[in-house]
Amino acid sequence: MTRFLTKLIVALAVLAGAMLASIAFGSHPTSFGDVLDVLSSTADPNVATVIESRYPRTALGVLAGVCLAVAGTLMQGVTRNPLADPGLLGVTAGASAAIVTSIAFLGMSGDAVWWALPGGLLAGLLVHVIGSSGGGSGVARLVLAGAVVSAVLTAYVQAVTLSLPKVFDSYRYWVVGALGGRGFDVLTSVLPVAVAGLLLAAVLGSGLNTLALGEESAAALGANPGLTRALGMLAAVLLSTAATAAVGPIAFVGLAVPHIARWPAGSDSRAQLLFSALVGPALLLLADVVGRLVLAPTELMVGVVTAFVGAPALLLAVRRMKAAA
Amino acid sequence: MIRVPIARRAVAVAAGLVVLLLAAGVATLTLGRLGLSLADLTSWPPTGKSKFVLERLRGPRLVVAAGVGAALGLSGALFQNVTRNPLGSPDVIGLSTGAGAGAAIAALLFPGVVPTPAGALAGAVAAMALVYFSTGTGFRHPGRLIVAGIGVYAIGTAIIQYVVYAVERDKASVLTAYVNGSLNTRSWEQAATIWVVLLAVVPFVMLLSRRLTMSELGDELAAGLGAEPQRTRVAAVVLAIVLSAGAVAVAGPISFIALTAPQIARRLTRLPGPHLTLSALTGALLLVLADLAAQQAPIPVSLPVGIYTLALGGLYLGYLLIREWKKGTL
Repeated sequence: MTRFLTKLIVALAVLAGAMLASIAFGSHPTSFGDVLDVLSSTADPNVATVIESRYPRTALGVLAGVCLAVAGTLMQGVTRNPLADPGLLGVTAGASAAIVTSIAFLGMSGDAVWWALPGGLLAGLLVHVIGSSGGGSGVARLVLAGAVVSAVLTAYVQAVTLSLPKVFDSYRYWVVGALGGRGFDVLTSVLPVAVAGLLLAAVLGSGLNTLALGEESAAALGANPGLTRALGMLAAVLLSTAATAAVGPIAFVGLAVPHIARWPAGSDSRAQLLFSALVGPALLLLADVVGRLVLAPTELMVGVVTAFVGAPALLLAVRRMKAAA
Repeated sequence: MIRVPIARRAVAVAAGLVVLLLAAGVATLTLGRLGLSLADLTSWPPTGKSKFVLERLRGPRLVVAAGVGAALGLSGALFQNVTRNPLGSPDVIGLSTGAGAGAAIAALLFPGVVPTPAGALAGAVAAMALVYFSTGTGFRHPGRLIVAGIGVYAIGTAIIQYVVYAVERDKASVLTAYVNGSLNTRSWEQAATIWVVLLAVVPFVMLLSRRLTMSELGDELAAGLGAEPQRTRVAAVVLAIVLSAGAVAVAGPISFIALTAPQIARRLTRLPGPHLTLSALTGALLLVLADLAAQQAPIPVSLPVGIYTLALGGLYLGYLLIREWKKGTL
């Protein structure tokens, strides 16, 4: 138990460090000392403005990181497939399609959140309905259904964006996935969905443990694997929709963090969920800091950074896969 | 004993596909404002308007569409056989995205110097090299191939999205159209390119075909039959990559043909085996039909054909899956 506590404290410290770094470093150079000055309200007002502009960005990073990582852990636990990723559920494509529709046909601009949310949820629901049609279940079906729904929605998004230059202009900035340029209002609008997803995930922890024993054993222990799986998918859809609506599609956090979290957490699903929720935001914020520094004074969006950090990690991990796989 | 009616069915399906392909070809040449009449089409040599339409406008485009579709269908059939995964395709192992990223980099860093198709080809080759070396075992293990493909896919997508974000709007829009795969304004050189690739690769595929059928029985059994499953697999992947690289160089990364064509072919024949010929024919038919839709769709903007293949292929795959799941056969 004490070892668990130690690991927990280390993970919390890493997260705190990442948050501090996210507030302290940016394309406009400031220091930790400046941050302390601002916190004790003795700073130069210009520096204070710069640093305060990083608060919502950091908060969004924490929220999106938690959501994506927990969603990924749920997906991988429910499907028992180490490659499951929230993007496979059609959520990203659904959110994109809804945003494009709102800009193109309803004359909306700006606050895309309220469109991305229902779009992502509807697409996730559709994938689930198609995947479970005919009374069957199973992971392969869900992934195939996700691929189908994503393909059709992506085609729609491409058709609309290529036909209407104005829509294309807003869309191409959103689709990269970035933490910057968004305010606390975005955070408050997705927060209810994120909290609902997180509560569901917290309740499901022990159910996932039973599921990990295999379908038959789980049923024999009196668990309801079908229900656990359905609720787990629902939570994953809620969480990844919240994240996508808040910061745009971000690759790899949902795929990679569960693997990292398994290292301190071991095989207990509840511990995996907890550590994912700590590692996810730390990783996302550090990626964002890297993106701000590497091309300063311009910035690289966090979605690009996570892909460039996560993909090589995945490529290295491939070599360790069993030869038979 | 049982094989006779089965083979007859495959031949009948192939003949049906050829007839449909010819019909789609005639429709491509005759429909629409610039379409030729059937009389124009049969009078030889063509003159005036029909010469222009046949030689410049729609002729090369049709030949490119058929060639690219056949190459993609064949490539998908090989990939799906080797990976034993209905989702195996050049899209999945990152080849198409690599090509798109190569085109994007060429457009961003060397505008006007490196032609876009050359960039695409370089990107496809680079992506495959990355996959090859990161698996540590080359193309031998299908599982590793797919995982490495996902990684390369993610890098490629990030590059494309970043370039589309970074360049000015008109360039970004042209690039997006290319990255979707387009058949607008194709030339006879491009038609020649893809058909030369096809004709060069097909003999090797034919040599491999029996072994591929055997390898569906599982590695041990296939090895017992002398099929050398490992070497067969590597050869098949290499051929599939050559085919899809050729297709990408000519038409950009057109999605979903490689994925859906073998699936459709399999369901048309209800036979085991890699369905190589039928997949190629189905691919050609799908792309010609999609391009027909792209040319004749009653919308003001001409969209790249890749968007139609994505939408139609996705809808069709969805329909197939739901129907099968209802019957409980999958």
